[in-house]
Amino acid sequence: MKIKEDGATKWFRFIAYVVVLTGSVLCLLPFLLIISASLTSNEEIVREGYNLIPSSFTLDAYKIVFMFPEDLLRAYGVTTFVTIVGTAIGLLLMTMAGYVLQRKDFKYRNFFSFFIYFTTLFGGGLVPYYMLITNYLKFGNTMNALIWPSLMTPFLIILMRSFIHSAVPDEVVESAKIDGANDFVIYYRVVLPLAVPGLATVGLFLALHYWNDWFHSALFINDTAKYQLQFYLYNIINTSNFLNSIGAGAGVVLSGPVPSESMKMAMAVVVTGPILLLYPFIQRYFVKGLTIGAVKG
Amino acid sequence: MVGKQKKVLHLFISLVLVLTLLAACSNNSKTNNEPSPAPSKSTTTEGTNAEGNESSISGIDTSERVELQFYMLGNAPKDLDKVEAQVNEWLLEDLNATVKFNYTTWTDWDQKYRLLLSTGQDVDLIFTAEWTQYQQYAKNGAFMRLDELLPVAAPKLYEFVPQDMWEAVKIDGNIYTVPATYKEYVTGGFVWREDLRVKHNLPKPVDIETFEAYLAGIKQNEPNIQPLAVGQDVGATLEDAYLDFQRQRVGAMPYGLHASYSDPSNIVGYWGSEEHLTDLKRYKSWADNGYFSKNELNETDGNQDKLTNGTAAAMLSDNPTRYNSVLNQMKALHPDWDLAYHPYGLTLGYATPVHPIHNGFAVPKNSKKAERALAFYELMVTDKRYNLLTQYGFEDVNYTVEDGYYKMIGDNTTNGFVREAMNGWAWRNPEYMIFEPSYDGVEAIFNELDKIQVPDIYTGFAEDYTPYQAERAALEQVEKQYLYPLMAGLVDDVEDGLKTFMEKANQAGLEKIQESYKQQWLQYLQESGHN
Amino acid sequence: MSKTMVHKKKGLLHELNKNKILFLMLLPTLLYFLINNYVPMIGIYYAFVQFDFHSTNMFQMAFIGLKNFEFLWKSGKLIQLTINTIGYNIAFIVLVNGLAISVAVLLSELRGKWFKKITQSILFLPYFVSFVILSVIVFNLFNYDQGVLNTVLEKLGAEPINLYAKPTAWIFLIIIFFLWKNFGYSMVIYLASITGISEEYYEAAKIDGANIFQRSWHITLPMLKNTFVILLLFALGGIMKGQFDLFYQMVGNNGLLFSTTDILDTYVYRSLRVTFDMGMATAAGVYQSIFGFALIMTVNTIIRKINKDYALF
Repeated sequence: MKIKEDGATKWFRFIAYVVVLTGSVLCLLPFLLIISASLTSNEEIVREGYNLIPSSFTLDAYKIVFMFPEDLLRAYGVTTFVTIVGTAIGLLLMTMAGYVLQRKDFKYRNFFSFFIYFTTLFGGGLVPYYMLITNYLKFGNTMNALIWPSLMTPFLIILMRSFIHSAVPDEVVESAKIDGANDFVIYYRVVLPLAVPGLATVGLFLALHYWNDWFHSALFINDTAKYQLQFYLYNIINTSNFLNSIGAGAGVVLSGPVPSESMKMAMAVVVTGPILLLYPFIQRYFVKGLTIGAVKG
Repeated sequence: MVGKQKKVLHLFISLVLVLTLLAACSNNSKTNNEPSPAPSKSTTTEGTNAEGNESSISGIDTSERVELQFYMLGNAPKDLDKVEAQVNEWLLEDLNATVKFNYTTWTDWDQKYRLLLSTGQDVDLIFTAEWTQYQQYAKNGAFMRLDELLPVAAPKLYEFVPQDMWEAVKIDGNIYTVPATYKEYVTGGFVWREDLRVKHNLPKPVDIETFEAYLAGIKQNEPNIQPLAVGQDVGATLEDAYLDFQRQRVGAMPYGLHASYSDPSNIVGYWGSEEHLTDLKRYKSWADNGYFSKNELNETDGNQDKLTNGTAAAMLSDNPTRYNSVLNQMKALHPDWDLAYHPYGLTLGYATPVHPIHNGFAVPKNSKKAERALAFYELMVTDKRYNLLTQYGFEDVNYTVEDGYYKMIGDNTTNGFVREAMNGWAWRNPEYMIFEPSYDGVEAIFNELDKIQVPDIYTGFAEDYTPYQAERAALEQVEKQYLYPLMAGLVDDVEDGLKTFMEKANQAGLEKIQESYKQQWLQYLQESGHN
Repeated sequence: MSKTMVHKKKGLLHELNKNKILFLMLLPTLLYFLINNYVPMIGIYYAFVQFDFHSTNMFQMAFIGLKNFEFLWKSGKLIQLTINTIGYNIAFIVLVNGLAISVAVLLSELRGKWFKKITQSILFLPYFVSFVILSVIVFNLFNYDQGVLNTVLEKLGAEPINLYAKPTAWIFLIIIFFLWKNFGYSMVIYLASITGISEEYYEAAKIDGANIFQRSWHITLPMLKNTFVILLLFALGGIMKGQFDLFYQMVGNNGLLFSTTDILDTYVYRSLRVTFDMGMATAAGVYQSIFGFALIMTVNTIIRKINKDYALF
């Protein structure tokens, strides 16, 4: 489709390029700083601060991060497993909920929306939640404790509801109904294909949520083999922070590797890797007109 | 429309209420049902206690096999599984039990520690120390009273720990933890770069004046090195250290209260006093002279790191063991540099070895296997096999003994169980301990301090802050906001700044806290006979 | 009253029967929130008792009324904390959404597959930088002795600045770093929403002679309103909570900056760090919740009045 660009369009594009490029540089610069620091020796960072180009090149920080490669790989494995399973189940449940909650003929949709939303306002705090997971659900020290807590969030459900609402015209549902399809079939055959951009977005966020999670490992997991990647690395940083903060009077002296500034940076690089792979994959669905094509098809 | 919304809201709220009630009831019944074995069990344990007291020779009942849940702070060593498997092999034979070693990691460990104790988890043994708030937990009833259990379940251990140590860990007259018997010092001392001191012919820091002279010399001669490393926590690295030395206080008393070691019952308000002002002005002069940075409160590097990396030249205080480990790290990186250490005790004429509360293991109140737990802990401490294995790993795999010294096999990255990898500070047994050659330096310091040792009379005090906990929390914030900048030398007019701080502190209820604390402290002194 | 109740009941049963598949589809979600969120709400009761270890459950603990809330106003800072918290959140909401919407609109009109893909990924990158690391970078930019800023100033012959002693500067710095880290997330949501806008609208507008600015202004922006309202309502619900890590990591223990950078979450954390009393921690949460609840009910009612479709419930 080649349409001749008018003046306004040219201007618009120009502004767009400038803004997007500036933004990209601002987002990228600190990241380059991080990459550079991760390749600099720790001593040099402490002495001279950060530089965009490493003044001395070393892989020491990555060596510490990958010191026990089998542990790191296992942590990758745990995170990947939890992310895939959690995202799959979560998406299924949230798309169903989102679909039901936007159906105009579903009388209690507002009530149930509020039922879900309300949980973002009030919570019982950490202690009862800890008891729920460990004492009642008996999820302590299992993968369930990593998957269950992040399965659904009110925000993503409501977002899903809105995506479906705007992507699926009421008439489409109506006509499917007249054709005799039941509500689940409509959801499965008609709604899901139409809501692909929404699915991709919500799925991306849910996956990120799982990927970045370290808190639930910290709380519920005792078994080193079940640590999530983020926790595995985060804990190395925390150990060094703890050693820095603990007063001399506690007399805690730990042997073992000394985590360092450059290590923190190497860690940031290691955990960011996957998004560079995942995001472009998701982007495929952010193309205008995709929904229309689906309707027509 | 609004009316409809209201209706929905009403309906919703009533639903929530009903659900909450239901949940509460079911929870109630659950909590009533579930622990029902607990009370009955605890009565049986009490029963056996009583029986045990009558016929304690027979020891404990080990007919039923149990798994003990052991909780320690920090990170689990890599080869924990192997050690655990070996321990369990022995333990099954000895006590018909197995143990699971759990580690909290250092991420949010304090929060996790509290959750473990306050939500009725299955925990049979857990580490205690004054810095994990042993005194408060014991006072609030989180741990099991061990006085009767110990002679029955762990008679050997009961014998092994000297009586005065059992006395020292008592809270309100009861034993709640098993103390470690290894004697060490975690008292402070000046740390400085010895090579720089010699190079510029500076005085050896033995008191604040000579320390200042050293700092001045470094500032003058080494423009690229920050004379003094302070870091974010100025309260601990600056004020605590300074007061320990300069004002010989009995312990790190909170709420700006002060009592000296020589006269502990003379407890006075330090905050806002002339002395306080003098000290703050001194910190300020250090900041103004550029001994430490203007941004210490936001510093992200650790003080020890700054020493080993050569960005700072001294620390006001560190304990002998950590000084020694920093020295070794530095030697590894820069063989031609040197660190030196002067323990405060040598100048002050007294030093307090660690209080028995410093390292210990307690049995939480909810434990249903208390007897077996204590019997197992006895093995950990007194049985050489258990002790060596859990402290050093497998001989010839993880370590060897050479000329009576501990020698690690491989290095930190290849060895899955380095020395004291299980953080076994509490079950150290002086009779079995083996050290690396570098420990000789620490031992030399300890030997010197031994000559001037006096008991720690502060740590045994268990404060009860329930009467003023709101004020306490509010004060915590005031201290950070108004006092920390003063200490870090960031407020130009110190006198005025101190006035503001005192105003805000009094507003938060400082007087009420101080009154109550004083009272408790004096009462403790009287009861413990330290008066 | 009773009549309407009966009517309601019949209505519910009728509805259940009519839409039983829809109910079934929603059921797992409802159960999840019931178990995961509503049941632990009993814990709110902790805010009103004195926690102790002797009791087997909280209903046996001593009821102490509002005593656990006292620490919030004892320091005399509650009002300032509340203002700070709300102020920052409002700034975040306005700026993040403004920026995210503009960039999303611009991006959506760009051609060039690779350029788009790469820039989108880059704009999303900061989301992955944890605040711990961000604080390290910030410290290295702004610290007095060796910071990048002062090194540059020195080279230009200007006086060095001690930013860590300038509370007002941190209002802007914190907002900027929040934007930097988080706008990518919202941008993706808006991009996805734009994707859902039917191409037909644009075609029709083109035929009417609307240029690209007009099309963006009159078609794209209005179509994003719905998404904006959702983001707004969720942000408002959490207006008393906020970005603990951001503030805590940036400011740390630096009391000099507290007057402009202390929010409720950091205050509660600092105050309870040593004590960590369960009752007081819960009390702080209850205060935040009630405030958020009141706010959200008001805003939702207003939105409902304006346009029913945009209301959350």
